[in-house]
Amino acid sequence: MEILRVENLRKIFDREVILDDVSLEINKGEVIALIGPSGSGKSTLLRCLTLLEKINWGKIIVAGDTMVDSATGKPCYAPEQTLRIIRLKLGMVFQNFNLFPHFSVLQNITEAQVHVAGIPYETAKANALQLLKKVGLEDKVDAYPYQLSGGQSQRVAIARALAMKPEVLFFDEPTSALDPELTGEVLKVIRDLAAEHMTMMVVTHEMAFARDVADRVIFMDNGRIVESGTPEKIFGNPANERTKAFLQRFSDTYG
Amino acid sequence: MEWTGLVKLLSLLSRGALTSAQLFFYTLIFSLPLGLAVALGRMSPKPWIRGPFKLYILVMRGTPLLLQIIFVYFAPSFMLPEGYRINLDRFVAAVIAFSLNYAAYFAEIYRGGIESIPRGQYEAAAVLGFTKSQTFMRIILPQVIKRILPPVSNEVITLVKDTALVQVLGISELFRVAKNESSRVFSTTPIFIAGLFYLMMNWLVTKVFHLSEQKLSYYQ
Repeated sequence: MEILRVENLRKIFDREVILDDVSLEINKGEVIALIGPSGSGKSTLLRCLTLLEKINWGKIIVAGDTMVDSATGKPCYAPEQTLRIIRLKLGMVFQNFNLFPHFSVLQNITEAQVHVAGIPYETAKANALQLLKKVGLEDKVDAYPYQLSGGQSQRVAIARALAMKPEVLFFDEPTSALDPELTGEVLKVIRDLAAEHMTMMVVTHEMAFARDVADRVIFMDNGRIVESGTPEKIFGNPANERTKAFLQRFSDTYG
Repeated sequence: MEWTGLVKLLSLLSRGALTSAQLFFYTLIFSLPLGLAVALGRMSPKPWIRGPFKLYILVMRGTPLLLQIIFVYFAPSFMLPEGYRINLDRFVAAVIAFSLNYAAYFAEIYRGGIESIPRGQYEAAAVLGFTKSQTFMRIILPQVIKRILPPVSNEVITLVKDTALVQVLGISELFRVAKNESSRVFSTTPIFIAGLFYLMMNWLVTKVFHLSEQKLSYYQ
C-alpha cells in the first residue's frame, strides 16, 4: 500500500536547482535508504517531504491527502488544517537531534503528544516510558538532554518522533554527528524498527547499514534520482556509471 | 547629627525610596511585555511592520531619557488639538516615559535572545506539529528567558538608578528628597545615605536575578 507519493518535484534555491524532477513512492512497511554524495539534494528532499521547505514544482500525496499539487501551473499547498493532519503522519529525526534542552527526556516525548495530539498526560507518559524502554533508555526518564551522550540523545529523538505514531519516519543522516561507537546503538534502534515494519526513509552515509536494512536503495546525484532498486542490485550490480563511481569511492575509503 | 534627626532623615528617604520603587515596579510591569511586542515587530519579515519598530527603537535609545520624560509630561498639554489637551499626572507621565524607553532596550535584548535559539528547535517543533504560537510559548520563549537574564539584570539595575531622573518633574523620589535635605541641613550626608539606599535596592535586584538564574540552571 502506498503511503507517500512524490511526482516531478523541483526545488530551487537562489536560482539554483537543488531537486529536479524527483518522483518516488513509499509503500507501507518499506525501509528506503537514500544515498548519494553531499549536496546531491537528499536532505532537501526530506525537508520538502516534511514541510520544512516549500517546493517549486511537483505533487506530494501523503496517505491519500494531497499536500501540494502543481496542476494549476504553480505549486499550491493544501489548507493549513489539511497540512496539520499530514504533519501528524510524518515524523523526522534530525542529524543534530534537536531535543528541547529545557525539557526532561520524559517531557521531550510527552509534550507534543499532549499539546498537539491531545492525548491525556497519563497515557502520553505511559507511551513515553514504553518507547524509552524500547530504545534502551528507561533509566534516563528524568535526565536533561545536556546529560546525554550523542547516541542517547538521538535515541530519545527517535522515541519523541515515534510517540506521535507517524505513518512514515524520516531520518536525516541520523548518525553523522556521532562517533562510530555511538553510531552502532542508534543504527540498532533503526534496525529494530525495520524488523517491526515501520515505514522509514533514511538518508545515510552508512553503506553497510543501507545494504543490510533497506528494502530499497535510492541513489541521488545532482538533485536527481539516478538509480533505485534493491540493495543487492544497487550495491552488487549498479547499472549507472555515476552510482558505480560513488560506491567504488566508498569501498575504497571504508574497505 | 543627633539620633532623632537621623531617624527623621531615614524615614524621609524611605518615603522617597518608596516612590522610586513604585516607579520601578510599574515600569517593569509595562515595559517587559511591551518590549516583547516591540521585539516581535522589529523581527517581522514585512518591512512596513519592521520599519516603524526600528525607528521607535532608534528614537527611544537615541535620545536622552530625561528629554523623553519632559516630552511625555508636557506634550499632551500643548501638542494635542485644542479641546483634547490633557494634563497628565506627573507620576503617570513618568511611568509612561520609562515604560516606552525601557521597552526599546528590552526589545533588543529579547531579539538577541530569540535570534540565538538554533533553527533546529523551530524545525523539531514544526515537524512534531506544534503551531507557531505553541512553538514560541512552549519551546522558544522559556529558552530565551534563561539566555537573556544577565543582560536584563543589567537593564533592571540601571532602571533603579534612572528613577532619579523623574525629579525633573518635581516628583519626590529618593534622590530629590535627599538633595533637598542636603541643602536644608547644609551637608552631603543625606545624599550619601541615599546612595546606600540605591545600593541596597540593587543588592536586592542582584539577589533576585541570581536566584532566578539558579532556578533555571537545571538545564544547559
